[in-house]
Amino acid sequence: MEAKITDNKAVITVELIGRLDTAAAQELSEKLLPLQEKADRTIVLDCSQLNYISSSGLRIFLALRKAAAVKGGKVVVKSINDDIRTVFMMTGFLNLFEIEA
Amino acid sequence: MAKVQDTIKRMASLQGIMMILVAAIMLAATSVIQSYYARRGLLMEAERRAQRELTITQLRIENVTRPVETAVMNTAWMVQMNLNNPDTLQTLLRNVLDTNPVLAGAAVGFIPDYYPEKGYWFEPVVTRRGNEYEDMVLGSTTHDYFKLDWYEYPAVTGENYWSEPYFDESAARTTVVSFASPVKDQEGNLVGVISADLTLEWLADLLRDLQLYPDTYSKLESAGGQMIVSPPAERVDNGTVNYSMPIESTGWNMSVVIPRSEIFRTVNRLSMMLGFLQLMGLILLGMIAFKSVKDQSKLESVRSKKDKMDNELRIARGIQMSMVPKQFPPFPERKDVDLSATIVPAREVGGDLYDFFIRNDKLYFCIGDVSGKGVPAALVMAVTRSLFRTVSAHEKSPQRIVSSINESMAEMNDSNMFVTFFCGVLNLYSGHLHFCNAGHNAPILLSESVERLKVLPNLPLGVMPEMQYVEEDCYLPAGSSIFLYTDGITEAENASREQFGERRTIETLDPALGVKENQERILAGIEDFVGTAERSDDLTMLIIQYLGADKSSETRRNLVLRNDIQQIPLLAEFILAIAEERHLGKSLAMNLNLALEEAVTNVMLYAYPKDTEGEIDIEAVLKENSIVFNVSDSGKPFNPTEAPEVDTTKSLEDRQIGGLGIHLVRKIMDDVRYARKNGRNILTMIKNI
Repeated sequence: MEAKITDNKAVITVELIGRLDTAAAQELSEKLLPLQEKADRTIVLDCSQLNYISSSGLRIFLALRKAAAVKGGKVVVKSINDDIRTVFMMTGFLNLFEIEA
Repeated sequence: MAKVQDTIKRMASLQGIMMILVAAIMLAATSVIQSYYARRGLLMEAERRAQRELTITQLRIENVTRPVETAVMNTAWMVQMNLNNPDTLQTLLRNVLDTNPVLAGAAVGFIPDYYPEKGYWFEPVVTRRGNEYEDMVLGSTTHDYFKLDWYEYPAVTGENYWSEPYFDESAARTTVVSFASPVKDQEGNLVGVISADLTLEWLADLLRDLQLYPDTYSKLESAGGQMIVSPPAERVDNGTVNYSMPIESTGWNMSVVIPRSEIFRTVNRLSMMLGFLQLMGLILLGMIAFKSVKDQSKLESVRSKKDKMDNELRIARGIQMSMVPKQFPPFPERKDVDLSATIVPAREVGGDLYDFFIRNDKLYFCIGDVSGKGVPAALVMAVTRSLFRTVSAHEKSPQRIVSSINESMAEMNDSNMFVTFFCGVLNLYSGHLHFCNAGHNAPILLSESVERLKVLPNLPLGVMPEMQYVEEDCYLPAGSSIFLYTDGITEAENASREQFGERRTIETLDPALGVKENQERILAGIEDFVGTAERSDDLTMLIIQYLGADKSSETRRNLVLRNDIQQIPLLAEFILAIAEERHLGKSLAMNLNLALEEAVTNVMLYAYPKDTEGEIDIEAVLKENSIVFNVSDSGKPFNPTEAPEVDTTKSLEDRQIGGLGIHLVRKIMDDVRYARKNGRNILTMIKNI
């Protein structure tokens, strides 16, 4: 699992590459914790290269989303594949996030 | 082994020597006995001959001496008659010489002063001079006959006397013996002695006739031991036999001397010839014995060499045969696959191999042919087969199996042997066949038609370590077969050196038949084709028939994880393998992975307190239409199904962070059940497929 964070003032892009399982989520959670402070901005979670996500990963997404809601920013989930879209659907996340193609 | 051979050789040569020795002793003994009796016979024969000859000679001598004696004694009487007429005496003597040619002379010596007018000595003498006679009257101080033996002995004893040989210097002037007889007057008084001198040449002549054997000689001795006839001076009496005979009238002793070598000349020659023949015989016998020993040891060594070769071939064959599965059908309990394989050995051991096994409902199989023959090929074959087993124990991809074997072999390939090899992995659930070829003949696929499988050749194993092998795949329809073989099949030659070939192979195979039947058809076809020609290569084939997934069977897969979040990625591999095996779609695989991860994560978070050690057993039971996952642990009781249902419709503000895991499990799985059994949490999740 790899996460590339690009901060260009207006938008913070997080490029997620690989499998986001429970083991990977622990690491990612720490890495993305500072972003909760910057949740007043737009955070784009680029999932074009993400091919797996479990509930631990979803929790990280949800935590960011909640922080954004508090800070007045927004979280955009970008380019999820069909399998992950199914997971989003099963968990009701499709309704919680702004999904971008 | 060599020691035993040496001993055998030694014993054999000892036997040969003993045989010759015994033969030699026997021959020597017979020779000695034969020679002894022959010599005894010859000696007796010699003695008989000597006695006969001596008797004859004796008679011949006496034929001379007796008339002399008679003539002398008659003349003595005549002298008595004519005592009054002394001057006629020489006439009488002349008559004696006339009748006895061997006499050199004769004389009458009168006693001293018998005729006073004649003086003290009176000895009228007649001596033969050639054909004439010489008359003399001897007797003087220089020729005092009274002192001579011929006179003295008869005069003193009154008996006849044969004198010792002496040189008569006064009359005959040669060596003579004299016969003397007393002369008496009518009153019986001694008046003188008459003597006749015998020359000795005739005796020598007589004795010279006594030639019993070429080197025989004879001698004649007087009564006093003087030589009358001497042996040749140069004679040395060395190993002689003497036979003698006395001549009684004269007191002489006659003997014949025969060198033993002469007597035994024939037997010696015979012995020599026999000895020579025996020696030749022994040498011949020895040569025969030696040759037979050599032949035997050669035979032994040839036999042992052949034994050794046979033994090596047996070992090689043993290696080859012990390395391949021989139980057919190998998987009688399975309904999805049938398989038959064989190596029909040729006289010479080749390096053919095949192997197969089933792991996780996948059939791993290979066939190979090592270049070369004999023990080296069998060893390389054994190595190849071992590598196949070792590598395929953890590799699922034929390409990686082949590459891995190739690297190992190319590294240790000092003998430049290579192996053509075909490796396949057949998913018995789906019929999906992955294969990788390493220079082996393309297998033949028997489905609706029978044709060669399209296969990349690549390079044989052991040629190039860095060779990039290419994996290919295809689907085997249920009921189809794949026929793998080595070139021993297609290159089987008949007497006219035609090959069985791929075309005949394809024509012989029948897709409607099972593996056993097709194997027998091929073997029978080759048998018919080859006929009496000798097979030079092993016939090796492996036939696999895919019968379609066995929907009624269930298969179990297990995974054990430690209580550690970092173990989670192992689940992905576990599920991937099952998905591949069962040919599950990528999405379903991901969902199953997700559900399983959530279940396992829950155990790790709730059943096992943080940092405690524990294990989580995951079992997947693959059934025809479903997969049952059992996740169990020995942690504290934790029932995830009791967790309240997450309301996914709630607004962001109301959404809880937790509870998503079990929610996903419920969403993905068709049935989720919890049980606490034997101190274990057991979560059963069923997914219908």
